[in-house]
Amino acid sequence: MSDWIKRFIPFASLIALCVIIAVLEPRFLSSGNLASVARQTAVITVMAMGMTMVMVSGGIDLSVGSMMALAGVAGAFALAGGAPPVVGIMASMAAGGVCGFMNGAAITTLKIPPFIVTLGAMGIYRGIALLITDGKAVVGLPTSFGHLAEGNLFGIIPIPLLIVVIVAVAIHFVLSSTRLGRYCYAIGSNVEAARYAGVRVARCQIIFYLILGALAGLAGAIEAARLVTGQPTAGEGYELRVIAAVVIGGGSLSGGQGTVVGTIIGALIMGVLANGANLLGISSFTQQIVIGAVIVLAVTFDEFQRRRLETAGS
Amino acid sequence: MTDDQAALEMRGINKSFAGNTVLADVSLSARAGEVHALVGENGAGKSTLMKILAGVYQPDAGEILIDGQRIRFARPSDALRSGIAMIYQELSLAPDLTVAENIFLGREPLSFALLRVVDRREMNTHAAGMLKAYGFKLDPRASIKRLSAADRQLVEITRATVEAKRVLVMDEPTSSLTAHEVEDLFHLIRELKTRGLAIIYISHRLEELDFIADRVTVLRDGRAIYSGVWGEISRAEIIRHMAGRELKEIFPPRAAARGETRLRITNLTRKGKFREVSLAVAAGEVVGIAGLAGAGRTELVETIFGAYHADGGEIVLDGSKLDKAQPDLSVAHGLGLLTEDRKRTGLCLNQPLASNLTLANLRALTSNWRLDKKREKAVAAEHIERLHIRPPDPDKTVALMSGGNQQKVLLARWLFADSQVFLLDEPTRGVDVAARSEIYRAINRLAERGAAIVMVSSDLPELLGMADRILVMRRGRLVAELDARQTTQEEILRHAAVDQGEQQAA
Repeated sequence: MSDWIKRFIPFASLIALCVIIAVLEPRFLSSGNLASVARQTAVITVMAMGMTMVMVSGGIDLSVGSMMALAGVAGAFALAGGAPPVVGIMASMAAGGVCGFMNGAAITTLKIPPFIVTLGAMGIYRGIALLITDGKAVVGLPTSFGHLAEGNLFGIIPIPLLIVVIVAVAIHFVLSSTRLGRYCYAIGSNVEAARYAGVRVARCQIIFYLILGALAGLAGAIEAARLVTGQPTAGEGYELRVIAAVVIGGGSLSGGQGTVVGTIIGALIMGVLANGANLLGISSFTQQIVIGAVIVLAVTFDEFQRRRLETAGS
Repeated sequence: MTDDQAALEMRGINKSFAGNTVLADVSLSARAGEVHALVGENGAGKSTLMKILAGVYQPDAGEILIDGQRIRFARPSDALRSGIAMIYQELSLAPDLTVAENIFLGREPLSFALLRVVDRREMNTHAAGMLKAYGFKLDPRASIKRLSAADRQLVEITRATVEAKRVLVMDEPTSSLTAHEVEDLFHLIRELKTRGLAIIYISHRLEELDFIADRVTVLRDGRAIYSGVWGEISRAEIIRHMAGRELKEIFPPRAAARGETRLRITNLTRKGKFREVSLAVAAGEVVGIAGLAGAGRTELVETIFGAYHADGGEIVLDGSKLDKAQPDLSVAHGLGLLTEDRKRTGLCLNQPLASNLTLANLRALTSNWRLDKKREKAVAAEHIERLHIRPPDPDKTVALMSGGNQQKVLLARWLFADSQVFLLDEPTRGVDVAARSEIYRAINRLAERGAAIVMVSSDLPELLGMADRILVMRRGRLVAELDARQTTQEEILRHAAVDQGEQQAA
């Protein structure tokens, strides 16, 4: 029963939000606008998929925005050097994967809380991105690369949406139907219990951060394609939007809880909110206030659930 | 203090949790200036009754009277205000504060009246005076986190005497004390009696009650089975009331053939925890480990399991050496540890029953990267059936299950992992009587199948009933090996108890 409510509330909020906006501004439902919502939320959603995994396992990664920028710049360098688009994307993902691996390795070997490690990493990766580009955008990307962000499949399905769907299906499969996914929930729920049950905790954690890094790299490639340049300043502040998507979707900061479907709904709630506000002419300042309030509400609900579980268990 | 009216009276207390009756029509009265012993097995309802008295739980029915006045406690602070203080088994001190600050927590002496500044000097002097009067050798300015478990217990006791105006409840206060400290405590208890306090004293060491108890109440399965003046009936009769049946019935017989040695520990040492422990366990054998809290038993089994690095010695399991201190390798070799603290190192509380049960052996449910969830359900159902786990729902969040059923889930985890050597640390702590006998039966089946079992327990009747041999640990060393059929609780305790000379030597 409570599980059902927990799953249903974010979904119901999303539907209600769409209905309200559609009534106030019918243009919201035009296929052009919906496609643009999908394009705008794709970058955040792709990273939020990886963040779901990291947060379910009880971790957090504040460096996603910086990893995205560094990876985007790395891919842009490859493309500007004449590499085909596919190689550019792979370069981005590899660069992101290396960053993620470093995060995971530092957290597990130094035994420092992930919040602190990735807070440091946020500065380090951003600094490297700025250093290697001298603070300037990487230009000279082939125009065909822009398809990654602006193209459509069969003329109607935006490519970024397609990427989101593929990533979501893959992460959903891992979390719900593999051993690694089960370990992810176990580690997040009680890391000591997982260790005592024979789970190789450090190895799993490194894999989760590595996957998140690779996905941040993919997001960096999409962003670079959208801007047709590699921006070392890309993705500033994205970490909070990514974490917010997970939390609004029912993921818990204390670990052991969260689903891919929930996170997608969380990302859409924020995307629709921003899009609707733009259509209705509400200022971006007001939008920030609203999104902030939504995050607090979602976390309050999560805490309320957790406390109920704790008192029932004693 | 010969007033016949009870200082405290609990009448017809009923309490149930999630449909399980924990207390049924329990009455208890304690007079001022008397020590009332409350005895019973684990899970008999002692703690629940005392938590009701402390205002932690509300009774479903029944009433509490203080000096003849009916009183309702909605929260713990209400009970404190009525002069009822508790010394809990799990210590509840603030580790970063000093001894004196803990003793006066919430009632610090203040100076500069309006500014409400804590008068530290006054507090330390006052605390020092109390500690001296009680015979406790403690520095009031020492920080709690540097104190031993025994010293913390003394601080806890001192604090409770500040709080207690009418009734003082002591829950196993001697469990971590040395013989000498126990004497000091008994001296203090006699002193508190003359102050007119009613003392409720929970213990399962009947022999120590001879020194202090005036009355006794025996609880069993949530009912008050006997209540009377101490000494009116024999200790043997009290034990019979506590158990309620012959030992044979609680501890089912076992027909296990002794096989080859499966686990051999040689000179295992972990600095500051235990030294040069050697033991061997054969297939079909149950070896019990007894000892007081802090003797190093839990640390020993956790080190054998590989949760901690040993500083020396050797662990050999079925012929292969375990020297990596990695639980995943131990599990792969067929070792299973049922942990002492199921909430900290056992359960993933917010996860479902089935995933907790299968966690140590997911490999068996995986083919081509995919978890076979249908088979997982079947495996869960099979173990639920076999151990009578309630509620029988594989999707139930384990946090919502009772302690006994949680423990059965953890036992089932190692059954499903097909473990060959089991380290069971307090396997029935906080488990009700019905669940206990099911756990015992499961242990017997394992031994009969050729598993080797090490069982750490503070419950001596349990060790006597289940083990073939009993090893006694004291201060990190194995000090005795006893044949479970020949020995007695008294003999085990004699080996386990720490004497004064040793305390100073250490």
